[in-house]
Amino acid sequence: MTFMLRGKFALLLKVVIVSLISAILLMLTQSAFAQQEYVISGFLALTVLAIALTYLTKISIPLKFFIPGILLLIAFVIGPILYTVTMSGFNYKTGNIISKQEAIIQIKARAIQAAPSGESFDIKLGKVNGVPAILVSDIANLKYFVSTADSRIPVDARDVTLDPNGVAITAPNFTALTDAQMSNADTSYSNIHFKYLDKTFIALEGFDAGVVSEQALEYLPAQDEFKSLIDGAVYKDNGRGNYAQPDNKAAILEPGWRAPIWFENYTKIMSDPRVRGPLVRVFIWTVVFASLTVLTTFALGLLLALALNKPIHGRRIYRSILVLPYAMPSVMSILIWGGMFNTEFGAINTLLGTHIAWFSDPNFARVAVILVNLWLGFPYFYLISSGSLQAIPSELLEAAAIDGANPRQIFRKITLPLLLQILSPLLIASFAFNFNNFNLIYLLTGGGPRNELDGQIAGATDILISYTYKIAFGAGTQDLGLASAISLIIFVLVASISLYGLRKSKVLDTFA
Amino acid sequence: MKKWLMHDSWRHIIAVGVCLFSLFPLYLVVISSFASSGSLQLTSFVPHEISFKNYHLLFNNPAIPYLTWVKNSLIIAGSVSVLSVMIGSASAFAFSRLAFKGRKTGIQLLLLVQMFPAILAISAVYVIMERVGGFAPAIGLGTKPGLLLVYLGGAMGVNIWLLKGFVDSIPAELDEAAKIDGASEVQTYWLIFVPLAAPVLAVVSLLSFIGTFNEFILARLFLVDMNNRTVAVGLQQFIGGQYSQNWGPFAAGSILASIPIVIIFLSLQKYIVSGLTAGSVKG
Repeated sequence: MTFMLRGKFALLLKVVIVSLISAILLMLTQSAFAQQEYVISGFLALTVLAIALTYLTKISIPLKFFIPGILLLIAFVIGPILYTVTMSGFNYKTGNIISKQEAIIQIKARAIQAAPSGESFDIKLGKVNGVPAILVSDIANLKYFVSTADSRIPVDARDVTLDPNGVAITAPNFTALTDAQMSNADTSYSNIHFKYLDKTFIALEGFDAGVVSEQALEYLPAQDEFKSLIDGAVYKDNGRGNYAQPDNKAAILEPGWRAPIWFENYTKIMSDPRVRGPLVRVFIWTVVFASLTVLTTFALGLLLALALNKPIHGRRIYRSILVLPYAMPSVMSILIWGGMFNTEFGAINTLLGTHIAWFSDPNFARVAVILVNLWLGFPYFYLISSGSLQAIPSELLEAAAIDGANPRQIFRKITLPLLLQILSPLLIASFAFNFNNFNLIYLLTGGGPRNELDGQIAGATDILISYTYKIAFGAGTQDLGLASAISLIIFVLVASISLYGLRKSKVLDTFA
Repeated sequence: MKKWLMHDSWRHIIAVGVCLFSLFPLYLVVISSFASSGSLQLTSFVPHEISFKNYHLLFNNPAIPYLTWVKNSLIIAGSVSVLSVMIGSASAFAFSRLAFKGRKTGIQLLLLVQMFPAILAISAVYVIMERVGGFAPAIGLGTKPGLLLVYLGGAMGVNIWLLKGFVDSIPAELDEAAKIDGASEVQTYWLIFVPLAAPVLAVVSLLSFIGTFNEFILARLFLVDMNNRTVAVGLQQFIGGQYSQNWGPFAAGSILASIPIVIIFLSLQKYIVSGLTAGSVKG
């Protein structure tokens, strides 16, 4: 093994691996740059530099151990966190997803309408001198011309050949597209404005018809505004990611772009009742849900640990059965429970002899969520508690018994306080975990029930994280900016809780 | 005989009661997987028939690429578990054993980063990977390598933190001795530390395997194509829709996919409990 770590072979191996990885990363750097993803490209370039410096020079030994882990961490954790921070300052939502340049192009493309004359012609796609062109047949007037983006050349009726419908199919200098070329030509041709008159052009409608069209809006780069060519209305950049009429804020052009709005997403959370109302309700339920989960799972786990804290018959079998819920992949368990709560054929209703619509009633849905989480979570606390019970010095308990304390007193005055002290960091960690227990809510109730008629997004069992997910990826308006702002608030909350827990457990002391 | 039964009966009552609670859903899935009706109904506690229809369906229906899903899950979870422990243990070793400037700040930063729930950055990750897909389709959104990278990055914080806890508990005398004998840090790592820590590394990598196998939402967002799905996402599709309550194949598929995980888990129980606590509690 040593030969792989020292000497010429090791050096060669190292150089080969480092250059291979660098080559791949450099290739990615270049293509990212070509796609104008400058931040990603810059990061990749720095990665190559860091790897080469670390492994080919003797700059720092600890760095040799760190670099792969740290780079991955930066790329997929720290990077996204910073990006979340950035997004939270933007109006990044449905209708404002693209950049400003793209938005201008799209507004122009959408502002095409048929000219008042209402003329349309039969056409044939082709090329003139290698440039995309159309051969237009004005069948009613027996007139023909070839049009490109810049020019319109009339063709004498004697120079064209007609098909049985009277549509010209050949003309001098004009080469028609073959069928194979046609199938690839769709997007490139439909974006071209083929010249007609001064202000009008022919836009394709399918492969063999063209409509005389006009541009309804004109972009004036110098003023950075759109001007209507019909009624002269002016649309200016409203500073919030849209072109809007200065005197009529509601008259905006679609689509908009992502524009910085700084702290507006945060102020919206604080002051807009439509955002704040549901958020406060969801927050309260999140806290209740996480607290009740910790309480119930800990209580049941502790009860079991106490019951099985004596070598009774069958303890091993009990133990193996009791950890099964924890051992099962939770995604499957949650889905199974979802089926069991079904109103019509669910096992729970069959067993209880009831006909409860568990997921349609807010309170029943909440009970179901807590119950399922109890099933999922109690084995963890059973395992932890039984371990901790062993750790309580038996002298303490014996001393109390000698002093005449009964078992209940011993439990309340000695065992429980000691256990709580040992387990409090884990209880806090469990709270923090359940605070963000997305899978449970998403897979069991989907956050429901909710009042869809009111257009509510937040359901009765939605916790902050599932609500945020709905804001970002939901069916209606997707508001990534707002979702990012809420995400960061959740992070601050969860990090505070976790740090508090860690301080209690004194982990921080080890390097303080 | 009588006496212990009397004295310990409350213990047995509680244990049996909770065992029934634990087993009930699992029992239901098992009988559903052998029923031909395709529902999760509780008609009776003793099954009337034993049919292998659902199992047959999983393997012979071209519309349900169950084996492909299992393969995808194994490939992704397997690669994540091996790679993340390889990369993570090197970082953990450096944090735990090597002296360098900014070590304390580094550990504190790591602590904070590993607290960031990956799911909060999900929209950012989605947008970033969509952009990556724009110039490198092989590792962008919708590809297994892309998802693998995201998992690897996401696992890094927790894994380094967890592994650091384990490394701290391995006595440093041996690698100090190696150092005195003139071994370089890299040699100490490969020749002394890795063999010593191998059992721990194996446990952490299995934990990582279970965690990745269980991951749902990123896999769901990333792998849209039917043949790219993981088991968890694929099986969810059976019962996800309002009118597609195909519990039979779901039950059969869940059982087959769960058995290896449950076996790994039960055999690692002892380590898993200490692993769960090592991150937050010391000593």
